[in-house]
Amino acid sequence: MESILSTSTFHMQSKQYLKELAATLAIYGAVLSGSIELLTHVDVARPWRDLVALSPMLPAAAMAWVILRELRRMDELQRRIQLEALGFSFAGTAILTFSYGFLEGLGYPRLSMFAVWPILAGLWIVGLMLARRRYQ
Amino acid sequence: MRNRVRELRAERGWSQTELGERLGVSRQTVNAIENERYDPSLPLAFLIARAFGLTIEQIFLEER
Repeated sequence: MESILSTSTFHMQSKQYLKELAATLAIYGAVLSGSIELLTHVDVARPWRDLVALSPMLPAAAMAWVILRELRRMDELQRRIQLEALGFSFAGTAILTFSYGFLEGLGYPRLSMFAVWPILAGLWIVGLMLARRRYQ
Repeated sequence: MRNRVRELRAERGWSQTELGERLGVSRQTVNAIENERYDPSLPLAFLIARAFGLTIEQIFLEER
């Protein structure tokens, strides 16, 4: 994320963004460990069990809000770079997940839904590198 | 689109970072405009023109 913003004003905003991102990530980690601990050691009744399992999504939503706010702060070229990178990862993830979905139909092992986001994030990083190179 | 941003910035002794601060954009964006890899939006072109005290036509040149 560092090279997205580089003037001093941008640096200050970027520092604030990284602080907020780190804070929400830390809260996510704490809530996730708490929920795993609780579900492993305590017999929680059904509707509450689901809510405890979903509780890490609250700090995850806060993380998404921090990221969206950062996108709105970017200048026009940085936003274009993000759009190209996100478009690349959107299309790439569709191709990869659909391809594997068809292979699952042939008996390949079923993968967890958790596999999707790392693919999206990995392709987003590749997309960012490609888009940045285009405008250097 | 061709432009004279690098030349005008050098005449004033500004760094890319300083020009970026005046325009409210990152150094990378100034660099991309100077290298003619990115054409700025009309509002940003007006800001650039104002920063140099010139008109848009004196900075951005139509390609023929």
